[in-house]
Amino acid sequence: MAIVHVQGLCRSFRVSEKDPGLAGTLRHFLRRKVRTVEAVRDLHFTIEPGEMVGFLGPNGAGKTTTLKMLSGLLHPSDGRVEVAGHVPARREADFLRRITLVMGQKQQLIWDLPPLDSLRVNAAVYGLDDREAARRIGELAEMLELGEELHRPVRKLSLGQRMKAELMAALLHRPEVLFLDEPTLGLDVNAQAAMRRFLADYNRRHGATVLLTSHYMADITALCPRVLLIHAGSLFHDGSLEELTQRLAPRREVRLELADILPGSAFSVYGEVESCSGRDVRLLVERDRLTTVVGRLLADLPVLDLEVRDPPIEDIIGRLFRQGSTETP
Amino acid sequence: MAPLSTIRRHARSIARFWSSSLAAEMEYQLNLLIEVAATLITLAGSLFTLSLFFGHGQRLGGWSWEAALVVLGIYTLLNGFSSTLLRPNLGNLVKQVQSGSLDFVLLKPMDSQIWLSLRTLSPWGLPEMVLGLVLVVVGTIRSGARPDAPALVTGGLMLLAGVAILYSLWFVLAATSIWFVKIWNATEVLRSLLAAGQFPVSAYPSTLRVVFSTVLPVAFLTTVPAEAILGLASGGSVLAGLVLAVLSLLGSRALWRFALRHYTSASS
Amino acid sequence: MSQPLPSQPRRYRRFGRHRGLQTLASALRIARALFISQYALMLEFRAEILLWALSGLMPLLMFSLWSGAPAGAAAGISPQAFARYFLAAFVVRQFTVVWVVYAFEEDNLLGRLSPLLLQPLPLIWRYAAAHLAEQATRFPFVVGMVALFFWAVPEAVWIPSPTRLLLALLAAHLGFWLNFLLQHAITMLCFWSERASALERFLFMPYLFLSGMLAPLDLYPEAVRRFALLTPFPSMLYLPAQLASGGPIDAVAGFQTVAIWLAVLIPLNLVLWRAGVRRYAAMGG
Repeated sequence: MAIVHVQGLCRSFRVSEKDPGLAGTLRHFLRRKVRTVEAVRDLHFTIEPGEMVGFLGPNGAGKTTTLKMLSGLLHPSDGRVEVAGHVPARREADFLRRITLVMGQKQQLIWDLPPLDSLRVNAAVYGLDDREAARRIGELAEMLELGEELHRPVRKLSLGQRMKAELMAALLHRPEVLFLDEPTLGLDVNAQAAMRRFLADYNRRHGATVLLTSHYMADITALCPRVLLIHAGSLFHDGSLEELTQRLAPRREVRLELADILPGSAFSVYGEVESCSGRDVRLLVERDRLTTVVGRLLADLPVLDLEVRDPPIEDIIGRLFRQGSTETP
Repeated sequence: MAPLSTIRRHARSIARFWSSSLAAEMEYQLNLLIEVAATLITLAGSLFTLSLFFGHGQRLGGWSWEAALVVLGIYTLLNGFSSTLLRPNLGNLVKQVQSGSLDFVLLKPMDSQIWLSLRTLSPWGLPEMVLGLVLVVVGTIRSGARPDAPALVTGGLMLLAGVAILYSLWFVLAATSIWFVKIWNATEVLRSLLAAGQFPVSAYPSTLRVVFSTVLPVAFLTTVPAEAILGLASGGSVLAGLVLAVLSLLGSRALWRFALRHYTSASS
Repeated sequence: MSQPLPSQPRRYRRFGRHRGLQTLASALRIARALFISQYALMLEFRAEILLWALSGLMPLLMFSLWSGAPAGAAAGISPQAFARYFLAAFVVRQFTVVWVVYAFEEDNLLGRLSPLLLQPLPLIWRYAAAHLAEQATRFPFVVGMVALFFWAVPEAVWIPSPTRLLLALLAAHLGFWLNFLLQHAITMLCFWSERASALERFLFMPYLFLSGMLAPLDLYPEAVRRFALLTPFPSMLYLPAQLASGGPIDAVAGFQTVAIWLAVLIPLNLVLWRAGVRRYAAMGG
């Protein structure tokens, strides 16, 4: 029984444009130039309980808009959304108790007080009695490696510690669905890694469904077996990262270091020459021909060193977003 | 969900809200001294200004000096109430709309208007509320009025009505920040207009009296409750006050739901 | 485009005698540039400035009270006189309001102070330019509101005599500087404590009650009036308002008070500014 069910989801915004200067202000006042921006176009997907799904896409692709529609903060222009058996936009109390939203660089903790005080407030709001709240705080503190930080005012914590405390406050009521919008934004490398470890651990322990948006590939690679790639508001890919790589970059990169210098034309029979500078050659070879080609290269040419690797996924996706895809989604 | 447990949850949450905000405010101890001093000085100045109108046994708008003290006392009480609950909460509302933290509030399983209106309690307005009450008592006694139980009850009721109207005025203004980003200055305009409530409404010329009884119901904030306590209130004004209070609360609720629908783009 | 690098010293030497004029010329250039940029900024905040202008309605409310109050008539002041006084007070208030402590606080919070302090222009001139630009932006709104008032209370319409008008304008502008220097002195205290801005309230309260905004000082008991006239507050409102509205006023004494307070506040601000910047630098900014 799917916990998230999305069908034909659309969201468009009307944006008014104003020219600068006094003349522009007057024109804008008298007659507005309005254009419609389609932020999200006809999304279809379902998510089963316990899945960890990543929403990938460049800035402005529609990831945050989708997340807001899933959490009920934004009404869709068209289509159906159902999360945990509720229509999110109605914001029923039962629905709100089963979800949580964490936004990178935005916080709900009280600035001047230690996190524990904000946690007590949340405990009351979600109807947790003090004993249960204390138990959960202890468990989360252990998982997040927070100790005396909980007793220090939030304004005195580092960004990484603050995000951990935010997670605690967001998860105190043990929601079934976690919406995370750029949660590692602005964190240093160690803090990012710690957050990823925690989310994976939490998902394992409590079976919570996690929907994550990020434009840090490392987040997605580490956490999300399933990726929804949103490009210009449409769903471009729904599957694993490997499938995405296959689809976008059906070729792998072979790097050769040769004993002698050979002209570039000598390699075109093996695959597409990406670069050829002196003794270092890089070829792009189709995956299904890879083993054959490598064998022939080793047999035919004076190879000192050979390396096979995937083009980095950042490059692949970056290229997709920059150029638009030659594939039809 | 059973309504009783919901009420209990709300009450518990509000208690936590207020104890946490008290804790946050008490971090700055010098504030108490400054606030009490400021309150005393302001009150002294207002009393002095009022006294200018009563030089030689004169009256202002038909009110005696002692009776006018009751009006000033209620104004001071309401001012303290604004500093305690209205300004901190509704100022936060505006800030949260601007920063996007309103989203967190909307996702809590609690009515957002209640959350936003009661989230913070600033203790610094409490001395002013106390002083206002003292002034009301002093004025009532010295004016020779001996309010009986019905008068006190009506007075209390009218005061609550005044609180409801004041809350609605502030809330409506703060809620419009969902449309107009830089709305906070408008509350300054509101405050300067409400300052007219320091004086009995009959002291103003007729056009302003009408304005203060309808469009900007300052009369029902201070004058009518004072009349009720002094036993001078007419049944008509009491009724009007109650009706206005209910209407303004309903109006604020309706506006908030409309504002939320705009915020979540439910209508577009 | 020639590169007269070797000839430049010669050029400067030629105008060496007029260095004083050069300083004045460059000061005027800076002032002009500051004002224009601040004016452009203030135009962006037109809506807020209109609201701020509207929030200064207190004098007009007081007029409506005094014109019908028996105490006012008993003091021998006609409703017409009250109308003129309070309208003048309203206008003067619009052009003497000061908010430097809030601007400074915000700049401090956002970390803008350090780069500003590194520039060879004392901070006070920036804030002064901002205030003057804001006054210029308010001007059309105030004209509109005065016109509205005249339409509502036609018997109050008057034009002050040229001498009085000139003196009133001078008094109002000097009153602005007094208010500005007073609040600026408190602002300098923010270099020592973040909470110093709370002291601004203790400036506003005496201003409210002693400046004549709530009633012409003639109505005050003798002792209180004499005390008020010793403070700088009447110079910020009562003096220019009485001059403009034609009420009885000892202009000489009034301007004497202004001069004395300026003589006190200008050196005070200088001292506090220098000490404040030293402290800021000592604390590492």
